[in-house]
Amino acid sequence: MAAIPLEHGLLLAGILFSLGVIGLLVRRNVIFILMSLEIMLNAAGLAFVAAGARWGQADGQVMFVFILAMAAAEVAIGLALVLQIYKRLQTLDIDLASLLKG
Amino acid sequence: MVTAFYIASAVAIAATIMVITRTQAVHALLYLIVSLLSVAVIFFCLGAPFVAVLEIIIYAGAIMVLFVFVMMLLNLGPESAQQERQWLNPRMYIGPAVLSLVLLIELVYMINQGLATVYSPTVVAPREVGISLFTTYVLGVELAGMLLLAGLVGAFHLGRRRERREHGTDTTTQAADTESSPNVTVGEDS
Amino acid sequence: MDIEYQALWPVIIVAITSIVVLLQAAITRRHAVALGLTIVGLIAAFIAVIGVGPLLPQSVGVLLVMDGFAQFFMGLIIAAAIVTAVLGYAYLRRRNEQREEFYIVLLLATLGSMVLTAASHFVTFFLGLEILSVSLYVMIAYLTEELAALEAGVKYLILAAASSAFLLFGMALIYAEFGTMQFGPLADALAAAEDLSTPIVLVATALMLVGIGFKLAIVPFHVWTPDVYTGAPAPVTAFVASVSKSAVFALLLRYFFVTDGYQFDTVMIALAVIAIASMLIGNILALIQENVKRILAYSSIAHLGYMLVAFIAGGDRALEAVAYYLIVYSLAVLGSFGIISLISPEGRERMSLEDFRGLFWQRPRLAIIFTILLLSLAGIPVTAGFVGKFYLVLAGVAAAHWVLVVVLAIASLIGIYYYFRIMAVMYARRDTPAASTPTVSLSGATLLGLLAAATIYLGVYPDQLLLLIRRLVLTL
Repeated sequence: MAAIPLEHGLLLAGILFSLGVIGLLVRRNVIFILMSLEIMLNAAGLAFVAAGARWGQADGQVMFVFILAMAAAEVAIGLALVLQIYKRLQTLDIDLASLLKG
Repeated sequence: MVTAFYIASAVAIAATIMVITRTQAVHALLYLIVSLLSVAVIFFCLGAPFVAVLEIIIYAGAIMVLFVFVMMLLNLGPESAQQERQWLNPRMYIGPAVLSLVLLIELVYMINQGLATVYSPTVVAPREVGISLFTTYVLGVELAGMLLLAGLVGAFHLGRRRERREHGTDTTTQAADTESSPNVTVGEDS
Repeated sequence: MDIEYQALWPVIIVAITSIVVLLQAAITRRHAVALGLTIVGLIAAFIAVIGVGPLLPQSVGVLLVMDGFAQFFMGLIIAAAIVTAVLGYAYLRRRNEQREEFYIVLLLATLGSMVLTAASHFVTFFLGLEILSVSLYVMIAYLTEELAALEAGVKYLILAAASSAFLLFGMALIYAEFGTMQFGPLADALAAAEDLSTPIVLVATALMLVGIGFKLAIVPFHVWTPDVYTGAPAPVTAFVASVSKSAVFALLLRYFFVTDGYQFDTVMIALAVIAIASMLIGNILALIQENVKRILAYSSIAHLGYMLVAFIAGGDRALEAVAYYLIVYSLAVLGSFGIISLISPEGRERMSLEDFRGLFWQRPRLAIIFTILLLSLAGIPVTAGFVGKFYLVLAGVAAAHWVLVVVLAIASLIGIYYYFRIMAVMYARRDTPAASTPTVSLSGATLLGLLAAATIYLGVYPDQLLLLIRRLVLTL
């Protein structure tokens, strides 16, 4: 039976990761930015699982579980901040919410 | 199995492209869920059934529901009406539906094949992952617990609605206004 | 599998303290009690850090390793956390905000930093970093009434999460290539590999540097620094500038020394460029700022650049110099942001240069303390900053990195200008009567006095600290 080459798993993770980066860069709405971050984190998790599959170890999957925990904490706080900002500004545009000058 | 991997990959990529190009947050979210489901299939193909299930339960389930809740709470005002109109447009459903269907057929096909014969010389069973988690990585589990505690305390503090403050009362009244306005229009219509 | 946990007591105590404060907040909300519990817990952890000395070095499973190096940096982090807690108390007392949660997340952030200093595995590296980051999002946006704080929190969250994703992807690639996530075996695998310049290894290292570079706020990844420093409450800024950077730098040192990152020429050249850019851009942008917090933010970018000079040099001398400079730098930034937090009345923080005009004539003692700390940051003799910078230069010279050393000297000269600009403003007389300043809390003022005294002491008698560093840090 033909096996899935490791490269293809990593390649897919790479493609998803880059799409996440594109989203992060293109979008201005904080909700979309948070979704793009989720795509990136998920892609990194996929890369770990693919790597773990290559070595036949559980470590890659263990790392994925931790990434999952981190993504959950991240999203919870991110969305709490989104709610606060929307309540104050009535917009989710990250560029409009620019009180501090870069 | 190999074919399943490539189909799921294509679905994941297509769905992810849709996520980053949608204008409506809810549509993007639908595609994101499709993307996560297809990644779950990929995990399964890579011989990682445990995280495949976690991906569905926690990512596509819990975390995405969090997004849905916040979108409901935001109640995006005049935009939400426009959003509603587009929401009724069946074309918006077609994409996620077709992609989900492909995934579904794939899943059914794989289950029919029987789990025992599923490809992978290196299936890492849930048992092994569990043993690894609670022996070698038990400290990591504890630390992940502290990480979630930080997230919990943080979300509690930052998400709290405040009363008896100027800002708080302002936004409460505004929220009440936006909530009551659809009712008013409904009343006028009837 | 048996794991020895005794050496981990400092970390365990901090974790327990955070839960105790959480329970206390659930039972009765008393600000002073929360602070008291936090301080007691942190002091107990500090004693434990000293107490575990005879057990070291000890590996705690594969995930952590407690050695003198970790012991030294844990001590620094706990001490800085105590200072932050005291400053935070004085600051929050004047704010209309739930206060107890601050100490919980502060303790968790401290926990994450401590884990980072002892991490010997990608899992603890990642988890430590994330516990620190997630707690920092909350601390930065803590004053939810202030839009600037919320905005700083969102910006930090987005950029930190993105950098974590880059870091994770880099780790995954390294794991895919070498099949281990533990630093020690990874070093063996790297040593056994015939060709190290394969694209996957270089890309992975570059991705990891993006993640680490963001946390250290070195040049291409520094854009968040001024906004977050300005928007966050002053005690939190002190914590971000001192603890978070010390912990990540400690991790960078351990990772590079254990896996011998110095063998990648490309990476070292990239780091040298980053160091030069950080020193110059940080200092030049600091020149044109009118806000003291922003000046300190840009100057912190430059200080990290200085430390990179010694880091690039490598060897024991570099470890010594960086460890010493991190102490000196932490003292100075904790003190400086402490001053800002103490003189800020309720509501707006005092941070524009104008707010500092004539500070000496109003509050001579605070002004003198601030002067000492600024002199230390500028690297003027008799202060600890001078000795610290001297060792950084020495490390650079010993490794014959002349370009870096020359840039360091030029950048320091530029730096002196804006530090003296703040001082000149403080000693100028104001024409208009000053706005009333709040009463400065005694505990806060005493603490800042101690920081300034330590800065002078370490500038005059650096030997004892150097001996301690040689004994502990060189165990790496």
